Amino acid sequence: MNVESRSGAGIPSSRGYRVLLRLYPRVFRERYGAEMTRLFCADWRRRGVSGRVALAWATLWDAVWNGLGERMAHRRRTRRAREFPGKRAGPQKRRGEWSMEGVWRDVRFALRLFARAPGFAAIAVFTIGLGIGANTAIFTVVRAVLLRPLPYAQPDRLVMVWSDLVRRNIPHFPLSPPDLKDMREQTTSFTALEGVVTFAQALTGDGGEPEQVQLGGVTPGFLGMLGVRAELGRAFTEDDALPPADAAAPGAGPPIMVLLSDALWRRRYGGDPDVVGRGVELGGGPAIVVGVLPPGFRLYAPEAANLTTAIDAWVALRIDYATADRNTGFLRVIGRLAPGVTLARALEDLNGVVGRLDQQNERMHTAGRRMRVVPLRDDITVHVRPTVLALLGAVGFVLLIACANVSNLLLVRGAAREREMAVRAALGGGGLRIAQQVFVESLLLAGAGALLGTALAAGGVRLLLALQPANLPRIETVAVDGPVFVYTAAAAMLAALIFGTLPALHASRADLARALKDRGRASGARAQAMLHGSVVVLEVALSLVLLIGAGLMLRSFAVLRDVQPGFEPQNLLTFELGLPFGRYPAPVDRATFSRLLRERLEAESGIQSATAAMPLPLTSVANHGPYGREEALGQPDQLKQADLRIVLPEYFATMRTAVIAGRTLSAADESDSAAVVVVDRVLAEKTWPGESAVGKRMLIRLFTPEPIFVDVVGVVDHQRNGTLAAEGRETVYFPGRFAGSWNNMHWAVRTTGDPLRAVGAVRAVLAELDPLLPISRVQPMTEYVDGAMAPTRFALILIGIFGLTALLLASIGLYGVLAYAVRQRTAEIGLRMAFGARGTSILRMVVTEGLRLAFIGVVLGLAAALALTRVLGTLLVGVQPTDATTYAAVAALFLAIAALACYVPAWRATRVDPLVALRAE
Amino acid sequence: MAHDPNRYLPLTPIAFEILLSLAEGETHGYGILLDIVGRSGGRLRPHPGTLYRAIARLVEEGLLEELDERPDPEQGDERRRYYGLTRLGRAAGAAEAARLDAQLNAARVRRLFQPRTS
Repeated sequence: MNVESRSGAGIPSSRGYRVLLRLYPRVFRERYGAEMTRLFCADWRRRGVSGRVALAWATLWDAVWNGLGERMAHRRRTRRAREFPGKRAGPQKRRGEWSMEGVWRDVRFALRLFARAPGFAAIAVFTIGLGIGANTAIFTVVRAVLLRPLPYAQPDRLVMVWSDLVRRNIPHFPLSPPDLKDMREQTTSFTALEGVVTFAQALTGDGGEPEQVQLGGVTPGFLGMLGVRAELGRAFTEDDALPPADAAAPGAGPPIMVLLSDALWRRRYGGDPDVVGRGVELGGGPAIVVGVLPPGFRLYAPEAANLTTAIDAWVALRIDYATADRNTGFLRVIGRLAPGVTLARALEDLNGVVGRLDQQNERMHTAGRRMRVVPLRDDITVHVRPTVLALLGAVGFVLLIACANVSNLLLVRGAAREREMAVRAALGGGGLRIAQQVFVESLLLAGAGALLGTALAAGGVRLLLALQPANLPRIETVAVDGPVFVYTAAAAMLAALIFGTLPALHASRADLARALKDRGRASGARAQAMLHGSVVVLEVALSLVLLIGAGLMLRSFAVLRDVQPGFEPQNLLTFELGLPFGRYPAPVDRATFSRLLRERLEAESGIQSATAAMPLPLTSVANHGPYGREEALGQPDQLKQADLRIVLPEYFATMRTAVIAGRTLSAADESDSAAVVVVDRVLAEKTWPGESAVGKRMLIRLFTPEPIFVDVVGVVDHQRNGTLAAEGRETVYFPGRFAGSWNNMHWAVRTTGDPLRAVGAVRAVLAELDPLLPISRVQPMTEYVDGAMAPTRFALILIGIFGLTALLLASIGLYGVLAYAVRQRTAEIGLRMAFGARGTSILRMVVTEGLRLAFIGVVLGLAAALALTRVLGTLLVGVQPTDATTYAAVAALFLAIAALACYVPAWRATRVDPLVALRAE
Repeated sequence: MAHDPNRYLPLTPIAFEILLSLAEGETHGYGILLDIVGRSGGRLRPHPGTLYRAIARLVEEGLLEELDERPDPEQGDERRRYYGLTRLGRAAGAAEAARLDAQLNAARVRRLFQPRTS
């Protein structure tokens, strides 16, 4: 062990300890500080994480207790040395030593005090309760979303395996089965590498109503890797995943093996254990239920994986690795790291394999494929971490502001009790005893605040859930339980420490002679005003930061609300329809059905037009594929990536998306040989800048292994597809028939009035055409638009609530300090008025004083906001974290409210009766 | 005697622990801590603040003396402040032990405490 590490100089904890050492008197610190730091660091090093938390906590109290105690003792000694010079230190009377009896006495005393001043106690408890409640509520979210381990076996060894096409700017590109197989066989870093893909299909053939179910298609080892076992029946085996003998005939191969989720099993089969082994139909093809999964099991996956997490049933994918196309990726891959393998090692391993593969695959090679390995839990929360951490910061500020308010309350009371304290000190109550008394009061207030806060948090959590933060993974596990109580208790103690320290220090300094000499007025009025003032300045600064955060969120929300998504979401009814392969085997069958359905729907009154797409904008993420100009043939490095969407005729008319040039896709294009596409404005400008795209040939890869040529017949406006907040990728629209007439389409119906009124007509038409068809997700398009705004709305509402709470608390703080100052200066004001000062000048004097504090706070707050609002970065839409308008508006608003808070005490000052004031003196 | 060791009684538990540690020979703060932890089987582990405040008090009262700073041969080459018992400190420790002994005796007689026989 070298000197450096033993003295602890290189350890961050030692720096923290040295800060704590400042609580001790300088003499003591200089003499013993270095050795104490060494002791602390030695202890720190031999502990684990939880031990360190406990040590940090205990050390904090050690430093507060002994540091302040030593200060008190030090002052006493120097005074005695002054009074009795030359006297050698003998045994000292130990004062202020901790005794349980003393604490009980303090508790009883404090309770009597609160009983005598119930208003003060109630305000303090409510303020602290508000701060602690907000913190507890947000902490439950932090715990559920960020801290809890995933409910899988050894979850910290699970990793997401990503591939990014760096040169085409495509992150999160899925993997193809042959790539997965090669990675499995050629790496040593994983004990498992399994693929998953989610999709919807019709569940029929079991005697129940046809139902569109969400399926999780997995490689057979996937569920075992997560550590989930079948509750009934058996898990998947390798045999379940054997490919059909004839891959060309879907539905004709061996049956699909199915594991039901507990929810589907109970809902659809009434929890009947005999369902295991029964045959059903999925997408019209044969399937066999092999088991049922346990109730608690859920799929948690990163948002970027675009997987549905509410899975009704799991199926073993029958993949033919020998014939599958290496460039058609559709699998999301999760792996389990082998024991002792680091992320870096696993990544190196994977990149080695992929590097070798891509040397022989020019398309991937030119796309610049790179692998990434990320711990699963980190990846699941990566998109919400800014929201949650911003909220945690916001409630931290609210608690600090609440503490500042209560601290000022205690200081004001302390000033009123100064004579009591001074007399106690003179009668032998040591400074430490008095400080202890104040601390006990603080702890009692904080404890009551914690109780109130817990109740508020329980309500707050319900409010949070009512806001439906759909994008917060695992929010359903939110609970106010054991660890949350521990957090609340810790927050309360910390709060007591924060708001109790200043008043305790202040009280312990009470000086009898000065207090009595100053008679009614508190001692050191100027110093005290400074103290109160600086606490208020801090409050104002903190709450300004929060308000600016709320202002920025409000601007983002407004921007988002005014976004032109490239279509008209009003009066648009949407639903999903799956055509079972079994009964609609050929593309022509499916195309015929779609045409029929469209015609029948459009014949209904109240329906203007009907169309379908795969997918509709904002409903799910589109497939994407490479495209390029004609010249890119044979030169894969010239390819770019576009969203690919399949649309039926009248799509653009129904969505009300503007046609910029050429024509749209019509019923005449619904033949399988019509290789025509419509592109959007973004793609046209990128690919043929300054030229008309209409009539151009372009290269595109849809389902074939190699790109093919298609003709551009029209250019339309850009639709926001995956998210409202960003413009998104360029898009190519294909006719449905050309794309093979998919069996799952998302329908959109343009209605003349309320879209929900058309639901009956839609169901009636479907029942007439094919009563066995399951229809799902029947909802107006506006709900998808709302959903796309939900994360922003969630953050806005919460940060807004906290910002307003902070504003309220800061205003109360400002008001309290000014009111107190006016009361302190009653005599002075009375004197001024006796000498002819007018009410307006008194008013101006007090308001100016208050505004001066507010102004300093606002300036500090603006500076802090510049540094801190950056954490909002990814939450903001169309507005910079340093947006000058927002800053100016919030600062102005704040000063206006501060002026209001100042006006009341100022007005009261003008009502001072000189005679009364002077008599009091 | 200039200072009656009985004037210092009763010693605080931490003060007595420190005197006990130094009774075996001079050592530094960390050595005292390790000795206390060792003797108590890990049940007692005073925080740095508590320990050094008690040391400071004992030095001030003349029960301990601060010796030179020198490296501990077992703890590497870093210099540490050593402490030793003064005569007064030794006497106070003995007086405290006698006081505790009298109490223990009383506890034994009244069957409050069964001494371990070994």
